[in-house]
Amino acid sequence: MGLEFLARVRRSSIVAGLVVTLAVAAAAPYALAGGFAAGVAWSLVNLALLQFVVVTMTGPERGTGAAFRRLALAFAGSLALFAAGAFLLTKLPIMALAAGFTFPFLVMVLKAASAALLESAFWRRRTASPWQAGVLVLTLVGATWWASTNFQGATRADAQTETHATEHAAPATDAHATEAAPAAGAEGAEGAGGAATGHGEAAAGEHAAGGHEKAEGPQVFENVLGLIVKSAEHAAEEKGQPVPAWVHFLHQFEIVIYSLFVAVLISIIAISVANNWQSVPGPLQALVETWVEHAWNFFCGILGPKYGPRFVPFLGTLFVYIYVMNVIGLIPFMHSPTSNLNITVAMALTVFVYVQFTAFRELGFLGWLDHMAGSPRDVVGWALVPLMMPVHLIGEIAKPISLSCRLFGNIFGEDMLLVGFATLGVSALSALHLPFGLPLQVPFMFLAALITSPVQALVFTMLSTIYFLLMLPHDHDHGHEHHGEEAHHAH
Amino acid sequence: MNFAAALGLALPLGVGIAAIGSGIGLGMIGNGAMQAIGRQPEATAKIQTAMIIIGAFAEALTIYAFVTVFLLSGKIQ
Repeated sequence: MGLEFLARVRRSSIVAGLVVTLAVAAAAPYALAGGFAAGVAWSLVNLALLQFVVVTMTGPERGTGAAFRRLALAFAGSLALFAAGAFLLTKLPIMALAAGFTFPFLVMVLKAASAALLESAFWRRRTASPWQAGVLVLTLVGATWWASTNFQGATRADAQTETHATEHAAPATDAHATEAAPAAGAEGAEGAGGAATGHGEAAAGEHAAGGHEKAEGPQVFENVLGLIVKSAEHAAEEKGQPVPAWVHFLHQFEIVIYSLFVAVLISIIAISVANNWQSVPGPLQALVETWVEHAWNFFCGILGPKYGPRFVPFLGTLFVYIYVMNVIGLIPFMHSPTSNLNITVAMALTVFVYVQFTAFRELGFLGWLDHMAGSPRDVVGWALVPLMMPVHLIGEIAKPISLSCRLFGNIFGEDMLLVGFATLGVSALSALHLPFGLPLQVPFMFLAALITSPVQALVFTMLSTIYFLLMLPHDHDHGHEHHGEEAHHAH
Repeated sequence: MNFAAALGLALPLGVGIAAIGSGIGLGMIGNGAMQAIGRQPEATAKIQTAMIIIGAFAEALTIYAFVTVFLLSGKIQ
């Protein structure tokens, strides 16, 4: 619990404060986010000044003139800080400022508590066996889930009683509704019956041809979660109850659940192989070992022996993850998470943040600016800086956009192609009233599984690798000073 | 010509035009890569990797047009 602890608190507070500020800015008015960020900044500066004063007063130089000068400076600084705080209080929402002010203290308390917990005998006993720890984590997650759903349920129940009250207050509309409901139901049943007689054969054929169905909007293949959501909604509709919360959750986070499923699948395979290592490998271990070796050679070949090993885990995992996500959509009743822009944007943003983080760590801020300015070394270079700077900055921002759109477009287009050909196969045989369609989509499934999925995963990872490469400090031992670095490194 | 008709005419045409450009680009990339492999067969792996990546760049342009089509096709009613 020394200065090092305070430095860690400061770092964590800055990062966590940034994340919270972004979240608040996304969900609430900008004034709240600004107030929170200002509060965190004020609190951190305040803590730093206090630390400075304490260090000066207790350090080895105490009592000297230099120490007094520094103390006077610190007090002047804290006066200015308090003036700034008063100014902020008049401009920004007070609650947000107070929350921001307490945030570093919260981080400090949490850090101290976790440090105390990690050293305790309780923690050692709990984490001794992975099964016990897993059960504990699952219990905690379940308890959080239960608490949150119950809280939501309570608020919704309140809302319902309110609506009931208003309905009872206006019995005329209530009676109207009950009158109108059976009519609408009969109409709906009639319409559905007519549609069923018309499309019964086609629907049966579609199911036989790979399990997809006509839906509103763009046609897509059915998947497990979508079916669960639909049946639950249908059941709730029949009983006249509101649709339960978990159905909304499932519907909203369908792709996230699929991507998590893929992540868990890969993790289970990797962990089981790593825990069960044998010198004569079984088939699974041979597969994983082959892949790891190839990935190592491939990425180290591009990034070089100095930086390669650091990025191999990230990039190799990225490739496997994207590949499995691409391919899993070809299994009937599954869904490719990468055919949704949210997942691809999330991955591209991860790569973007990691690339910029690496650039800042390896080059420093000035080195990064120098890189963004096109590394000017002569008069022509400096003259071109106003031109090169925006070009490089826009290029940096364009990278995640092109990465995510490329992956999304390819996988989504592939899915659409399969749907289109499956529909074509069904409609080609619809005159015969057979319970199946021509499997026209099968050759394209092979195309997708063998070419599109691995190539798109490779392209995503490869481009990420090259973005890392362009941001890393270039080695000068080849005699290429500042000419054609990108061409030199990109081969 | 109203908005929906203009979209209905322009969207497939847009993909087609983009595909022409991508096709020419892919052909040139494949041509160059095949010639390079023919001249230097031992560098096949490196050439293929570079070819696939540049091919993905060329292909992505059509994909952008395709995504635009899907974003705008909902407006044809």
